Amino acid sequence: MKQATRRRIGHAVSYIILLGAAFISLFPLFWTLSTSIKTRNDTFILPPKFFNFEATWKNYIAIFDTRGFGQIYLNTVVITLASTVLCVLISTLAAYSLARSPRFRSRRPLEMSMILVRAIPAIVIMVPLFTITSKLGVYDNHVALILMYAAVNVPFATWLMTSFVGQVPVTLEQSAAVDGAGRLQILWHVVLPLILPGMAATTIFVALLAWNEFLIPVMLAGNSAKTLPVFISGFISARNLDWGPMAAASSLAILPIAILTVLAQRWLISGLSSGAIKG
Amino acid sequence: MKAKGSIERQLARLAEALVVPSWVLILSVFALPILGALWLSFRNETLGAFAPPKFIGFENYTGALADPRFWESIRTTIWLTILGLLVQMPIGIGLAVILERNLRGAQVFRTILIIPMLLTPVAVGLMWRFMFDTDLGVINWALSGLGLDGPNWLGARWPAIWAVVIVDSWQSIPFIMLIVLAGLAGLPKGPAEAATIDGANAFQVFFYITLPALGPVILVILMIRIIDSLKMFDIIFIVTTRGGPGTATQTLGMLIYNTGFGFFQTSRAAALGILMVLMVLPVYWLWRRAAERG
Repeated sequence: MKQATRRRIGHAVSYIILLGAAFISLFPLFWTLSTSIKTRNDTFILPPKFFNFEATWKNYIAIFDTRGFGQIYLNTVVITLASTVLCVLISTLAAYSLARSPRFRSRRPLEMSMILVRAIPAIVIMVPLFTITSKLGVYDNHVALILMYAAVNVPFATWLMTSFVGQVPVTLEQSAAVDGAGRLQILWHVVLPLILPGMAATTIFVALLAWNEFLIPVMLAGNSAKTLPVFISGFISARNLDWGPMAAASSLAILPIAILTVLAQRWLISGLSSGAIKG
Repeated sequence: MKAKGSIERQLARLAEALVVPSWVLILSVFALPILGALWLSFRNETLGAFAPPKFIGFENYTGALADPRFWESIRTTIWLTILGLLVQMPIGIGLAVILERNLRGAQVFRTILIIPMLLTPVAVGLMWRFMFDTDLGVINWALSGLGLDGPNWLGARWPAIWAVVIVDSWQSIPFIMLIVLAGLAGLPKGPAEAATIDGANAFQVFFYITLPALGPVILVILMIRIIDSLKMFDIIFIVTTRGGPGTATQTLGMLIYNTGFGFFQTSRAAALGILMVLMVLPVYWLWRRAAERG
């Protein structure tokens, strides 16, 4: 009896903590979305209006009317997709090597380089990259940005993919080899189908990281390759902070992610808890 | 025997070929620029200077080390790291332990709780900034409802540092929670059950059995969080407008940005970058150790 009571109290406390944490996790998201559909007057008022305001699309219209906004959104989508595909492909190949071949000459240097790429703050390479891209004439260039985005995410994607390749039983490959299949054939016909779910999870993650990437484009993109996070950051230098449009722009960055999270949560969580240990 | 050896060699050759694209990307986007930074750091390149740049030896380094702003930025970086860890580790581990109990609805809560780590830092930073507003922000409004006088969050050093810690924690706690959750799933249930039968309460089980068993996982999290604190950029850029008020939240990373892209002292910024790489190396060494042991 006493134990049952104690357990019930334990459950109640757990739920209170979880509800509090859920509230804190979601409130800024809710506040962004609600501010994005408020009029100016309802934004700058105390006590804050949580639900009792009149919804308006004005802020979104203001954002869409901003010159170049369509281009910015398109840039973000294109750079995200292209760099993600590139990164996942390259990382899958490297992961196959790391998972299946215990001894090849550049293995240790590669492992060490990947840790360094993950550990060294990217700001360090931005100053020289700015000089280099300017000299090469690829400052503000989509392809250059795609390569750089892919590069910064290669370690994370490789670790993730290595754990997925590692889950494929080696015996499958061995029996295919006995049957006379070549190495590339095995990779394509035996391994690839089995790691497709892992590749999907990795793709989602890398796409998220690329979508959110700020440091690279804020340094190395000018007007023609500007991305959404850079556009959003531009609001802080405005003299009059205009919170409505700012929230609308933020919502346009955040909403695709929130939807993705709900749709792909199982993959997200499996990926996060397996390979994310390192990244 | 001979056949096996040749297969192994064949595999090694394939492996070598498959990592070539990774090498190309890493060398061109990372190794080359770091060498570039090294080269720049021994010159006096500034944007818009009239005199042609030349080699000046270690002047950028001695100049940086003699600059109080450098040491201030190091202190700020260390404070943000320590405060962040103190806030994030207990909360992240606590939430994981609660979720691990698998109460009804735990899955839903888990999904909700990981959302912050996925959202665009720049966008959420902006929103937190709005919420931190002294007069119209919802945070100080809520505090005043509790009878508390909220600080001028972004107007003074310590409140601004705390503001950065809060936003950073909001985004990082889910990561810690998930990794601990994965660690908990891998622990054997036996010892905890035995202790419970012997009369240990939940806290004793946690502190004497679960937490020690999580040691290696926690070590890895600590390392990653330290690295990410050193890398923290987006949130500071937005929440305190690149390290403000004044230089109150200017971390080493932000100092590099402001030196290179605010004052256009390219070479000085490159030297600061090389110093930062040197500071990361001990953490890197720890990582290797942890990876080899795991």
